[in-house]
Amino acid sequence: MSVTRRSLGALLAIPALGAPSLARAQGAVIKLGTLTPLTGAGGPYGPVMAACVRGVVTQVNAAGGVLGRQIELVSEDDQTNPEAGVRAARKLIDVDRVAAIMGTWASSVTTAVAPLCWENQVFLTTVSGADSITLLPHNGWLVRTQPNTTLQGRKFGEFAVAQGAKRIFVMMPQTPFTQSQFAAMKAAVEAGGGAIELLIYDATKPSLRTEVDQALRFRPDVIVAGGYTPDTSVLLRDLFRASYSGKILAFAYAVNQAMLTAIPKEVVEGVMTLAPSPAAGSGGYAKVQALVGTDAPDPYTCQIYDHVNLVLMAMAKGGAATGQAVHDTIRKVSQGSGEAVDNALDGLRAIAAGREVNYEGASGPCDFNEVGDVLDVKFRYEQVKAGALTLIRIA
Amino acid sequence: MPEAILQALLNGVISGTLLAVPAIGFSAIFAVLNYPNFAIGALATVGAYGGLVANTVFGLPLEVSLLAAFVTAALAGLVVEWVAVRPLEQAGALMMAIASLAAAIVLENVIRFVWGNGLRGYDLPMLRDMRFGEIRVGPQQLENFAVAIIAMLALWGFLVLTPLGRAMRAVADNPDLARLRGVDPQRIAAVAVALGAGLAGMGGMLIGLDTSIDPLTGPRLVLSIFAAAVLGGLGSIPGAVVGALVIGMAEELTVLLIAPSYRSVVGFVVILAVLTVRPAGLFGARA
Repeated sequence: MSVTRRSLGALLAIPALGAPSLARAQGAVIKLGTLTPLTGAGGPYGPVMAACVRGVVTQVNAAGGVLGRQIELVSEDDQTNPEAGVRAARKLIDVDRVAAIMGTWASSVTTAVAPLCWENQVFLTTVSGADSITLLPHNGWLVRTQPNTTLQGRKFGEFAVAQGAKRIFVMMPQTPFTQSQFAAMKAAVEAGGGAIELLIYDATKPSLRTEVDQALRFRPDVIVAGGYTPDTSVLLRDLFRASYSGKILAFAYAVNQAMLTAIPKEVVEGVMTLAPSPAAGSGGYAKVQALVGTDAPDPYTCQIYDHVNLVLMAMAKGGAATGQAVHDTIRKVSQGSGEAVDNALDGLRAIAAGREVNYEGASGPCDFNEVGDVLDVKFRYEQVKAGALTLIRIA
Repeated sequence: MPEAILQALLNGVISGTLLAVPAIGFSAIFAVLNYPNFAIGALATVGAYGGLVANTVFGLPLEVSLLAAFVTAALAGLVVEWVAVRPLEQAGALMMAIASLAAAIVLENVIRFVWGNGLRGYDLPMLRDMRFGEIRVGPQQLENFAVAIIAMLALWGFLVLTPLGRAMRAVADNPDLARLRGVDPQRIAAVAVALGAGLAGMGGMLIGLDTSIDPLTGPRLVLSIFAAAVLGGLGSIPGAVVGALVIGMAEELTVLLIAPSYRSVVGFVVILAVLTVRPAGLFGARA
């Protein structure tokens, strides 16, 4: 046989090479990546987050795509683990050649993945809260919709003081935000005249009895359980067994519906939670409800919905489907005095018509400062009553 | 402070005893088959979920569910052995160990596929600890402790008193000699794997009873299990028990005397120290 399969392929490719480069660029799809935890501690959130982005991409593709090009979404699993996150990010960047990576969840993963993104001019949007993330030398290559942990820590401290607490014991695993968050809590608590102490525990252990003994020797009236779901469920059980009767404050991402169904009611009864609140009642929030088919979408799904909308609109506004375009123009669509939009379809239409837009998302106004921190967000306070999370207030 | 140390030691004895169950399983497999089966963590998870199904779906009492955990993990262990590990026997112990690691990843994800990532709890009343002065201990802890002791005694009885148990020890001691005496090595290997994996599964459920379970319940224990087995001497069953108790107590004392976040370091330090100072471990004959 004189023509092998490979040489035949090469022959067929010649006309394509001869075609004008513009035509090829228009035909090529725009690649975007999600990097969310499908497994590990963030496993309850990542799959819904990825599905939400897929929903938005499907809608935008059906309406003609961005810059006349279709969008192809590649979803990878970071396993809530920095090493796996880096491997997956390398694949997204080197193999899939995505323009943006959206949705990194755990701060440790975001911290590990961010340098790969800025070195390769891939834009990163994240829901991680560690302060250190926006302090990285990223030169504008990332934004986050999660309020930083200093703000969250301050809210935690103020909430504890508002509960009348004088002695507060904080139990957290080792995370990139443990120290900064505790410092913010400490400042708030000490300003309110209280005493506060921190214990950093090993989140991989099946029992925290000795740690709980240590906490109780402090004679706390409030214990802040600052871990993720698996370790917090161990901690809450051991606090119950030790007959701890004071108040417990925890992150809403740890004491969530999954935990309430998995551990006995009496263990988690009365626990108060705090979380950055999505903009419930907003147009964007309603669209997320419809996309993921639930009345109460979690904050991260709301945030990643905002990420994909912002990225697509920034590409349209910047006139190029590259990370650089998103980097240069994201603040031109996220904030300012333009027309308020809460979804990419409306935003893309407005941009195509030459109008300015100001995105108001499902997670909040989505306005960013120069280092990529979100400027304004509300907090949601809840308490477990009779086995269900009940709203105390949003403020 | 003395009460705190006493309490930590008590916690350590109990957690060490629970850890001893899968550690014995790991050592038993090593003794007969001469390779470290790192699927032991995933097998512990499989057992925990097997027990969960028996307990929450079929409503069986905990004692029966523990047997279900044993059987489920034993079957999974045999599948791992026959499908993943045995075909690589000629390639040596390292390849078999790697095959077991790969099988562990598969098992873990099968569990995720069926039950998801969330936490699961057994159908158990949540009981407050009993207090004896400054010292406290949980009723469930005591029950788990008793079950672990009974499981170990049963194993000891099996190894010492039954012909199959004696044959297993013979193969572990000298496979060639055992074969000359007419012991079928394939059969003994299968028994060792089923026993080891079953114990891991039971251990996984015992540990899960005290907390909750998720697909990483077992893998989180692998370092401690391996450290216990190395400390006791790989392949030594009494060694695994002593090793697990030492690891359990050392981890709890670390919380108290150094810092809670250094708990996991105990496993690494022990492995490093044993391999440097006494590679055969406390009870091991082979280096």
